[in-house]
Amino acid sequence: MIAPRLRRRLGRGLLLGFFSVLLVAYVAGPVAWLVSSSLQTDAQITAIPPNWLPPEPTLANFEAIFGAKSEVVTYETRRQGDPATTRFLPSGAENLLPSLANSFSVGLWVALLNLVLSVTAAYAIAVIPFRGRRGALYAILVTRVIPDIALIVPLFLLVRALGLVNTQTALVTTYLAVTIPFTIFILISYFESIPADLYRAARVDGCSHVAALRHVYLPLALPAVIASLMFAFLTSWNEFIFALILTQNVAAQTLPIVISGFVMDFTTSFSFVNAAGVIAIVPPVVLAMLFERYIVSGLTAGAVKG
Amino acid sequence: MARIRLAGIAKRFGAVAALEKLDLEIADREFMVLLGPSGCGKTTTLNIVAGLEEPSEGQVFFDADDVTEVPPHRREVAMVFQSYALYPQKSVFENIAFGLRLRGMPSDEIARRVRGAAEQLEITHLLERRPSQLSGGQRQRVALGRAIVRQPRVFLMDEPLSNLDAALRVSMRTLIKKLHRQVETTVVYVTHDQAEAMTLADRITVMRGGVVQQIDTPAGIYDRPRNRFVAGFLGAPQMNFLAGEIGPGGGDFRRGDLSLAIAGTLQPGRKAILGIRPEDCAPAEGGPADIEGRVTLVSPLGSEQHVNLAVGDAELVFRLDKGLRVAPGDALGLRIQPERLHLFDAQSEERLEGARP
Repeated sequence: MIAPRLRRRLGRGLLLGFFSVLLVAYVAGPVAWLVSSSLQTDAQITAIPPNWLPPEPTLANFEAIFGAKSEVVTYETRRQGDPATTRFLPSGAENLLPSLANSFSVGLWVALLNLVLSVTAAYAIAVIPFRGRRGALYAILVTRVIPDIALIVPLFLLVRALGLVNTQTALVTTYLAVTIPFTIFILISYFESIPADLYRAARVDGCSHVAALRHVYLPLALPAVIASLMFAFLTSWNEFIFALILTQNVAAQTLPIVISGFVMDFTTSFSFVNAAGVIAIVPPVVLAMLFERYIVSGLTAGAVKG
Repeated sequence: MARIRLAGIAKRFGAVAALEKLDLEIADREFMVLLGPSGCGKTTTLNIVAGLEEPSEGQVFFDADDVTEVPPHRREVAMVFQSYALYPQKSVFENIAFGLRLRGMPSDEIARRVRGAAEQLEITHLLERRPSQLSGGQRQRVALGRAIVRQPRVFLMDEPLSNLDAALRVSMRTLIKKLHRQVETTVVYVTHDQAEAMTLADRITVMRGGVVQQIDTPAGIYDRPRNRFVAGFLGAPQMNFLAGEIGPGGGDFRRGDLSLAIAGTLQPGRKAILGIRPEDCAPAEGGPADIEGRVTLVSPLGSEQHVNLAVGDAELVFRLDKGLRVAPGDALGLRIQPERLHLFDAQSEERLEGARP
C-alpha cells in the first residue's frame, strides 16, 4: 500500500521525467541524427527502417572532406555513387576548408569589433549624461525592427557600389550592423546595474572615462562581455542570407553557403553534407562549453541586481 | 589643502532646480558640514565640488584656480561614500593603491603609503582580503584609507557613516575627527544627521530645497538659528514651537493665557512663533513659574528625562534632570530665561530680534 503523499510525489516525478525526455529529444534529436548520419554511408542513411546508430561507423566522410583538394570533381566522378564507399564528392567540396577559415576569420573580426564598438557606446549611454541619450538608445534599437531580408537588395547595391562584393569586409560590416544594437542593449543594462558610486569613486580616484571603463566597468561586466563576444561570433558563424548575396566564391564564402551548395540538382550526398554539418557545429559547441557559466550570468544581466 | 569657493552655483535637472544660486566659501583645512534633509541639494553640491556634475551656472575655485571645467580625475579630490564604493574585484591593498597606481607612482612608494594608511586605520591585517569579506565598519575604514593615501587637496565625504550601526557610527565619528587633525586637509562632509554635524564641523551649512539657510559654527546655528526650519532641524528633541503674538507692551509673547517675557521689545500685536529648546528651562520648585502645565508623559532616558507638558491647548517637551520626581497628571511649573527664547515671524518664519533699549 503506497501512501497518497508518496504516490503524488512519484506521479509528479514521472510526469517531470517524461516531459524532460521529450524536451531533450526535441532539442538534441536533430543534432544526434546529424552526428550519427555523418558516420554512415548514403545507403545506410536512406535505408528503411532508418539506422538510428551507424551500423558500421566510418570516418570516410571526414576523410573525404579533408582530402577534397586532390580530387577532381566532374560529372562522371560524381555519378559514380556513394561518397562513403567510393569517395564521391559534390562539386565545390574543395571549398569547404577555405570557407571554414573564412567563417573563423569573419567571426573573430565581428566578435572583436562588435565588442570594442558596443562597449564604448554602451558606456557612454549608460554612464555619461548627455543630451539625446535616450534618443540615441532608441535610434540604435529601431534599426533592429526592420527585417534583414528587406535590406538585402539595397545593401547589395551599396556594397557593390563600394566595390566590396565578395570580400570579408562586406560581411564583417554587415554583421556588425546586426550585432552591435543588441550588444549595446545587453551591455547598457549590465553597466547600469553597476552602482553609480563606483563610477564616482573611480573618477575621483583619477580615472578618465577610458580608465574607468577599463579598470572598473569591464572587469565587473566580464560575464556580459564574454556573452557578447560569443553572441557576435555565433551570429556571424551561423548567418546565411547576407553571406549568400554578398559573396560569390572561395575568397569570402562562409561555411553555411558552401554546405548549402552541396545540395545539388542531380544528387545530394547526405553523408557528406552531414559530416560538414558536424564540423560546422563543433566550434560553437566548444565555445559554449568553455564559457557556459559566463553566458548564463551574462544573459540574465539586468534582471536582478547582483 | 585648498580653500574652496563656490560662486553663484546653480544646478538644474531639466525643469527641476536642485541648487539655486549657491555662494559658499570654505577655508583651508576647515571641516565644513553640509546639513539638510534628503533632496536639499547637499550631495549635488558635493558632486559639483568633485567635478562629477557640471553646474548650470556659476564657478568653482580651489584657491585661486577656477576648476569649473576641470574633470574630476584632474581635481585632486578624494571622496568617501555612504555605500563605501570599494572595487569588488580588487583586494583591500589594491583598492587603496588604485589612485596611486593611476598616477604612476613607483610600487615601493605605493606599498609604503598603503601600509602607512592601513596602520593609521588599523586595517593592516585586512590588506589581502576582498571587500566582500569585510564588515561595514571595516569597509568604511578601507574607503577612508583609499582617500587619505592620495594626500588630496580636498576631502569629500557623502554621508559616510549612514550605513553603519549606531555604536560604530560614534566611534567612526571620532576616527574621522582625529584623521582631520592629522591630515590637515579641507573637508566637505555631507550628512542629514545633526549629531554628526554638531560634533564634527568647524562650520555647518544648513540647506533646504537647494537654498542655503544658514552658515555658521555649530554653536552659532544652535543658539541663534536664522529661521524656523534651522531651529527645528537641529536639536533632539526638537525645539517647541508656539504660534501667538507680541503683547500690547511689546515686551512679551502671548498665546491664550500664556504670557512670556522676551528679551528686548517687538512691535505690539505682531504675529510670531515662539521657539523654546527643551533644555532651556528649570523647575520653579515652588517659586514663581513662567510656564505652568500638566504633565502628560514622562520618558526617562537614564541620564535625564523628557517630560511632555500640556500648556493650554499646546503640548511642549522639556528635558529635565533625572532627579526631579514627576508623574503624569502632576502640575508642573518651569522658569524660562527670556534670553533663551527664540522668536520667528509668523509669515516669513525668519528670526526676530527684540529691539534693545
